[in-house]
Amino acid sequence: MKKGLTLAAAIATLSMIATACGGSNNGDNASPSASASPSASASAAASASASASASASADPAADISGTITFLTNRTDMVDKEYVDYAKRFNEKYPNAKVEFEAITDLDKNTKVRLSSGEYPDVLLIPTIPNSDLPKYFAPLDDLGLNDKIYFSDYKSSDGKLYGISAGATTTGIVYNKKAFADAGITAIPKTLDEFYAAAEKLKAKGIVPLASNFKDQWPLYPWASEVPISIAGDKNLNNDRVNSDAPYAMDNPYGQGLTIIRTMYEKGYLEPDVNSTNWEQSKKDIASGKFGMYMLGNWVIPQVISSGTTSDNVGFFPLPYDNSGKTNVLLAPDWAYGVNKDSKHLETAKAFVKWLLEDSGFDDFAGFIPVLKDKQANMAQLTEFQSYGPTTIEAAADSEESTAVVNKAQIVKEAMVQEFVLSKDPQKVLDEYNKKWAAAKKSLAK
Amino acid sequence: MNGLSYQAQKRIILLCFMSVPLALLALFTFYPAVKLVWMSFTDWDGLEANPTWIGFANFVEVFTNRDLFGVFLNQIPYAVVGIVQNAIAIVFAVILNSKLRGRNGFRVLMFLPFIMNAVAVAFMFQYVFDTTNGSLNILLGAIGLDGLAKTSWLGNTSLVNFSLASISMWRFLGYNMVIYLGALQSIPADMYEAAEIDGAGRWQKLVRLTLPNLTKIIQLNMFLTLSGALAVFDLPFVLTKGGPAGSSETFLFKTINTAFQFNNFGLASAMSVVLLLIVVVVLALQNLVIGRGGRDA
Repeated sequence: MKKGLTLAAAIATLSMIATACGGSNNGDNASPSASASPSASASAAASASASASASASADPAADISGTITFLTNRTDMVDKEYVDYAKRFNEKYPNAKVEFEAITDLDKNTKVRLSSGEYPDVLLIPTIPNSDLPKYFAPLDDLGLNDKIYFSDYKSSDGKLYGISAGATTTGIVYNKKAFADAGITAIPKTLDEFYAAAEKLKAKGIVPLASNFKDQWPLYPWASEVPISIAGDKNLNNDRVNSDAPYAMDNPYGQGLTIIRTMYEKGYLEPDVNSTNWEQSKKDIASGKFGMYMLGNWVIPQVISSGTTSDNVGFFPLPYDNSGKTNVLLAPDWAYGVNKDSKHLETAKAFVKWLLEDSGFDDFAGFIPVLKDKQANMAQLTEFQSYGPTTIEAAADSEESTAVVNKAQIVKEAMVQEFVLSKDPQKVLDEYNKKWAAAKKSLAK
Repeated sequence: MNGLSYQAQKRIILLCFMSVPLALLALFTFYPAVKLVWMSFTDWDGLEANPTWIGFANFVEVFTNRDLFGVFLNQIPYAVVGIVQNAIAIVFAVILNSKLRGRNGFRVLMFLPFIMNAVAVAFMFQYVFDTTNGSLNILLGAIGLDGLAKTSWLGNTSLVNFSLASISMWRFLGYNMVIYLGALQSIPADMYEAAEIDGAGRWQKLVRLTLPNLTKIIQLNMFLTLSGALAVFDLPFVLTKGGPAGSSETFLFKTINTAFQFNNFGLASAMSVVLLLIVVVVLALQNLVIGRGGRDA
C-alpha cells in the first residue's frame, strides 16, 4: 500500500514536469510542439492566447491606453523618480499606465532579449547594426519630431527613424574651479599652449593637473575618438577609416589627438603612476581639488558634485586641441529610445517616448543636453561650456563597414591610447595598428 | 499497480528520482557544451538567427593569430607561482599536521582567503598594490626599503603577471593546504611508527614516506592549479583590464572580449573549445610525468 502510494506520488511528480514542459512549449509560438501535451495545459495556453487576442482587439488604434513597460538601465531611479514619472504620465493619459523594469548591463541583456523575441514595449536600443533596426523596432517618424531633434539619422535605416536619443552629451575639460584659482589660473585656456601652461601651474602647486584614469582604460576614450573628430572637424572621420589601409598617422587627427595625451604624460601632467589609478577615488580627488581636471563627457559632472563639492565649484570648457583659438566639439547621443514593433499598445508606447523627451525632465536630471534642439540645457556647466562658443558637430552613427573592421581586427581604441602613451616609439604603435587594420580589411573584402 | 515486482518498482522509483537531476544536467551542461562546439564552427555574431557554417576557419584563426594565442605567455607566471604555491602548501600542511599549539586557529586563518569572493579580493588588492597610497608600498617604505616603495606593481610589464599571480596564490594556498592536510591525516600512523623503529629521521620520513603517499593528491592539486592558471580571468579583468599595453591579458580574457566586445561569438566559442582541449592535454601530460615519477620512487 505504502509502496503504491510512493509510486503514485512519483508518477504524479513526473507528469507535472511533463505538463510544465508541454505548457511552455505551447506558449512558445515559434516552435509548435508536436508532442501530445496533457489537455489541462493545452486549454490553459489556449485560454491565455484567447485573452491576449481579446485585449488586442479591444484596443482602439488611436487611443492612448493600456499598460506598457519601459526597460531602462537607470536602476537608481526605480522607486524614486520613476514613481513620479508613472504618476505624471498617467495624469496626461488617464487610460494609460507605464511600468518600469530596470536592468544592469543593459546592452548585453537587451540583445539577448531581442534575439529571444521577448522584449518590452519601450526600450533603449542596444548596439546592433542600423540595418537590423526594422526587425525589432517601430518607426517613430509619425511623432513629428524629426526636424526638431539632434541625431535624427543616428538610429535610422532606409530613411526611417527608429530611435531617438535620450539626450546629448559633449566632451570637454571638467575642472575644479578652486584648484584653478589656487594655482593662479585666471583665464580659461583657449589654446593648446595655454592649456599646457595651466597644467604646469597646477603641477607647480602640487595638484595633479589631469586625472586620466589611465589604468581603467575606458576613461581614455575621448583621445581616440572625440578629440580626433574635433580636430578633423569631420563627423565621419571614424567611418572613413575604411577607405584607407593606414588610417593612423602621426600627423593626421588621430596622431595629433594621441600626441596631446602623450605630451601630458611626458611632462608629468597625469597621475604620478598612470598604471595605478582608481576611478572612484579620482572623483573624490577632483571634488576636493587634489586633482585639477578630467577630459570626459558632461555626464561626469553630477558624479563629481555628489562626490563632495558644490555645483558652483565645477566648471566645464572645450579642450583647446591646437593654437588656433577655435574649437569644435562633438555632440554625442546617449542611449536611444526605441519602440517594440510588436507592442500591443504601439501608440501608447510612442506617446510615452514623446512624453519622456518633452515633459519628463529626464535630460535635466541626468545632466544631458536636451535632444530637442529648441530646449535649453539647465545645467550651469553646460551654459559655461557654450559661452566659449565652440562649433558643435553632431556625431554620426558608426558605419557597419568600419565596425566590422574594428571587430575583425579586435581594436580597442582605449588600449591603443595606452600603448601610444607608454611606448618608446609611438610611430611603431600606429604602424602595428595600421597593419592590423589592413589585414582585417583585406580578410573582410574576400 | 501492485502486480509489479519489487525489482520493477525499485527501478521505476530510481528512474523517477534520477530523471530530475539528469534532465538538469543534460539541459544545463551537455546541451550548452554541444551548442558551444557547434557555434565554434559558425560565424555567429550573437544576434543573427541563421549563422553560416564556416568549417575550421575559426580554429585556424585561433592558432595563427599571434594576438590570440600569444597571450598564453602571460599566463606562465601563474603556472610558476602555482607550483611554488603547492610546495608552500605542503610545507604548511606538514607543519599544521604536527602537534602545534593553536593549530586549528592557524588552519582557519590559512583557509579564510579562499572563501572570500574573487572580485572582492581583486578590489581589495587594488588598494594593496596602489603605487602611491597602496599598503604594500607604504609598508616597504616604513621598513626602509625606499627604492622598492615606489614600485608600480601593476604597471610594470614584466612584473604585473607575478603581482596578479601572487594574489591567486594568497587566495588558493589555504585551499591546497586543506586538501594536503586531509591526505596527511589519512596516512596511517603505524607506518611512521615502523619507520621510526627502523631509525628514519624527520627528513627521511618526509621524503620517503609522506611525499610518496601524497602523490595522488599532489596530482590533483597540480591539476587544479594548472587548469586554474590556464583559465585566469577575474584578476586581470578587475585589476588591470589587460594592461599595461596588453601585457596582462589572458586567453579567457581575450575570449570574453572576442564574444562580448567584438561580437564574434563563433571565434570565441572556438577559443573556448581550444582552451578545453589544452586543459585535457595538460592533464594527460601531467599524469604521465607525475604518475611515472611516483612509480620510480
